[in-house]
Amino acid sequence: MKKRNVVALFFVLPVIIILLAISIFPLIYSFYLSLCQWDIGTGAARTFVGARNYLRLFTDSRLWNAMRNTGLELLFGVGTQFLLGLSLALLLNRVFRGRSLVVTLFLLPMMISPVVVGCIWKIIYHYQYGPLNFLLEKIRLSPVNWLGSSSTSIYSIILADIWEWTPFVMITLLAGLQAIPDELYEAAKVDGATRVSTFLWIVLPLLRPVIIIAVLIRVMDAFKIFDLVVLLTMGGPGQSSETIAFYNYLTGFKYFSMGYASSMTYFQLAIIVIIANIFLKSWKGREMA
Amino acid sequence: MKDHLRIPIFVGIFFLLALALSPFLWNFMTSFKDKGEYFTYPPVFIPRSFSGEHYLQGLKLGGSRGIRDSVIIAVTTTALSIALGSLAAYALARFRIGGENLAFWILSVRMMPPIASVLPLFLFYRSLRWLDTYQAIILTHLLMNLPFAVWMMKGFFEELPVELEEAAEVDGCGRLGAFLRIALPLVAPGLVATALFCFMFSWNEFLFALILGRSRVVPVTVNIAGLIGGHEILWAEISAVSIVASIPIIVIAIVLQRYLVRGLTLGAVKG
Amino acid sequence: MKRITVFLVVLVVLLGAASWAYAVKLVVVGDAGHNLKPFDWYAQQFKEKFDVELEVIGVPFGELYEKEKMELIGQTGAYDVMIVYPKFLAEFAANGWLYPLDEFIAQLDPKMDDVTPGYRDFYCKYGGKIYALPYDGDILNLYYRKDLLENEEEKANFKAKYGYDLKVPETWEEFLDVAAFFTRKKGEKLAGQVLERDFYGTAYYGQKDQIFAWWGNIFASLGGVYFNEETMEPAINSEAGIKALEMMKTMHQYCPQDVLAYGYEELKDIFLEGDCFMVIQWPCVGKKGADPAQSKIVGKIGVSHVPGVRREDGTIYYRPLMPCGRVLAISAESRDPWKAYQVIRYLSVETSLDDVSTAETGLDPYRYSHFAHPEAYEMFTNVEDARIYLAGVQKNMEKGYPEMVLPGTVEYEETLGVEISRALSGEKTPKQALDDAAKMWSEILNRLGKENQKKMYQELVSGWRAAGLWE
Repeated sequence: MKKRNVVALFFVLPVIIILLAISIFPLIYSFYLSLCQWDIGTGAARTFVGARNYLRLFTDSRLWNAMRNTGLELLFGVGTQFLLGLSLALLLNRVFRGRSLVVTLFLLPMMISPVVVGCIWKIIYHYQYGPLNFLLEKIRLSPVNWLGSSSTSIYSIILADIWEWTPFVMITLLAGLQAIPDELYEAAKVDGATRVSTFLWIVLPLLRPVIIIAVLIRVMDAFKIFDLVVLLTMGGPGQSSETIAFYNYLTGFKYFSMGYASSMTYFQLAIIVIIANIFLKSWKGREMA
Repeated sequence: MKDHLRIPIFVGIFFLLALALSPFLWNFMTSFKDKGEYFTYPPVFIPRSFSGEHYLQGLKLGGSRGIRDSVIIAVTTTALSIALGSLAAYALARFRIGGENLAFWILSVRMMPPIASVLPLFLFYRSLRWLDTYQAIILTHLLMNLPFAVWMMKGFFEELPVELEEAAEVDGCGRLGAFLRIALPLVAPGLVATALFCFMFSWNEFLFALILGRSRVVPVTVNIAGLIGGHEILWAEISAVSIVASIPIIVIAIVLQRYLVRGLTLGAVKG
Repeated sequence: MKRITVFLVVLVVLLGAASWAYAVKLVVVGDAGHNLKPFDWYAQQFKEKFDVELEVIGVPFGELYEKEKMELIGQTGAYDVMIVYPKFLAEFAANGWLYPLDEFIAQLDPKMDDVTPGYRDFYCKYGGKIYALPYDGDILNLYYRKDLLENEEEKANFKAKYGYDLKVPETWEEFLDVAAFFTRKKGEKLAGQVLERDFYGTAYYGQKDQIFAWWGNIFASLGGVYFNEETMEPAINSEAGIKALEMMKTMHQYCPQDVLAYGYEELKDIFLEGDCFMVIQWPCVGKKGADPAQSKIVGKIGVSHVPGVRREDGTIYYRPLMPCGRVLAISAESRDPWKAYQVIRYLSVETSLDDVSTAETGLDPYRYSHFAHPEAYEMFTNVEDARIYLAGVQKNMEKGYPEMVLPGTVEYEETLGVEISRALSGEKTPKQALDDAAKMWSEILNRLGKENQKKMYQELVSGWRAAGLWE
């Protein structure tokens, strides 16, 4: 038993060492910065202010607006990506001719770097000259003000994000489905289970770890949506399409309010950790039931 | 599959595929457009001419170098993430080493939004004299990809019934043998998917590539962003470079596709 | 021990010889793209004349500021020559990151008298010293459709409706009248032709990163200033500010529906596609408008000064903003500032006419000598069009109004842009929006150190006033 643990330790050690070596200094340094006021280059010196940056977060309405938009992205963006990705994975989890080709084609949206995704959609969404409104008019629907209206802009960004990242969820879940041994399906069939109950009671529980990680990764990355915002709307009109990553970038690398930007990062980290914990707990809870 | 479901399912897949591909196709067409064809009415679906001019131009403007640098960075990052990550994942999944806490700590490294880490890392690498080097960007990308690989692989290993490896161990394979010969082949689709995503995350990363690179190392994302000028956006070159830059990933996807979605019966044979 | 000494001596000698034999290598950084081309074009001359070899690094336009600033904060000494957007010059200079050029200028004249006042006195100086030489003269100009303005039918209709002759708008009131007049729906007639699509009176840069400049054109002509210099109270919510924003709101009705998402490209294209009567834009739009490949209105473009306010003596007071622009500065850590200076002076003086008059770059004129040579501008099919263009741009250049250039300028401009955008999207009234912006400016001031900012602002303003460019 002891020997097994030693072997296991060697298995994880390299990862721990690398992660510690690169992340420990930034972690400590940026946490220290989050307790300072430091607007680099403005002539004001770095001063230690304790929790003041964190308190400022709570009164910053722009931050909460950005959090709301990120919440919308989590709800509608990640939600749709999950439902669509799962459906596609189930549809593609069967043998048919040309399946590999279909799967590879579905990967294409993800292979374009995010900056370019922004450029593509910028033209697609253009009110007068974009192909999307052109086609809408062709089928006698009224054109949509995709980017220039405060009530739609964030959803346009979410839509582009869904386009880009649904394949990620699809492929991950498909790989998960593929790893489920056939015997289980067969056993279920022998037991007379219907397709739905096989899915609910056999496939879903086995797939759960993969679902959790796929959704968690999307949640983390939803906090990083930046390029699309910059290229499509610059967060406008007003603040209507600002995401938390956009606002954080602004404070950190345009305003260079490094202290405040760091505290904003830690605030996000706390929220992501909470979400992740809820996810993982609910998974474990179900496992016991 | 019941027959009456077959047709709606294929129509559904085809419809979604068309939706997924049309912006990509738009991007492809854009790579051939000339000035005056980007924003115009009616929108140009088929460009006037299909010359490779923008491809040459885009690659000349640094695209080819960028792709080279990105390949070096992404391949190294992926190889390290997969090799180290799947080992760790196996240990976490099978031996529960460090319990939930260790696993969670590993994941939490990836949760950190990047903004706060950029300046400290910049100063860190400056003190090592590693600015503008491959290793700086590769190591930084590991921060994002190692936890990802560990958790993805952990998920796939946990999915496997443990009995298979126990049987192998009884048969005389060591722990490592059971891992290499039994567990790893069984999660091949997961492994391939994970590798593909690691590659893509690294390939598409922008912020660290921008700040940590300078002139010797300029990944393709930074290069493409450089084509978005203040008063001139080279739409066609941007699309062209992005198409060329996606080729390595497409090639990898095609090469690996049979592992990505192997036949459903394969698992049974192996078992 | 002896061997090591010998080895070291040889090494030193060799290195010395090597550095003598090879040209000095200087690193140039700027926003990637066509504006860096001149550094390559004249590589041979730099080598022969100044014994300098250049390594040119292009950074994405949108990220140039943070990239340069990171390297400067980290004191990496990575750059020698830096292309800087003028609004960051004061900040970089105040931190001691740039090399003051005055001693070099005394030795080798960069002909600053030839430079238009905005670029000479606003964008190259800080604290009484010169830190940069101009490279790209960005300014906002009014572009309009000459052909429609001269159409007899339209002229008659305009006169009947507004009671005065249709002409290039000189005041903001006229601007609004003309914009309203030319806004037509699909199916209506324009210059005798039935429109197949909507036609817009005007458009503006609606993305909030630069929207302040389009508001600023009106604000500055109404006599607006950024701060009260005595008290350092923000003055953007003054009467001038609110009136400017109200005018913009009226203007908004004559614009395309998604104008609040418009950046440079959209604003250029709606005009060059022939779907908009007039826009206020950078000088390069005039050059692109002469290119049939990207313009459907070649030869139909008029250029004028941006509208202003009629003063009591009957003159029009107009102040176009000068957003963006590029100047060449030298890093304080440069390996060889003198050689770097020779390079930037060569570009700013000797070759600049060639560089601003070619379609190969995006550089715009900034010297009187640039405006005096319409025949050099190869993109225009005839000299007359070039002359119209240059005369229009020059009129604006002479009255240019500076962007905010204090350290922290991005935050000032950005928060203002957000509030302007919110007023235009109908979230707030103009007064509310600007009051909120002013409140945020006060907060920023306090955070960055009000006294310090006040000192810098007063210093800047006194410089501008001495040059006769500030009231």
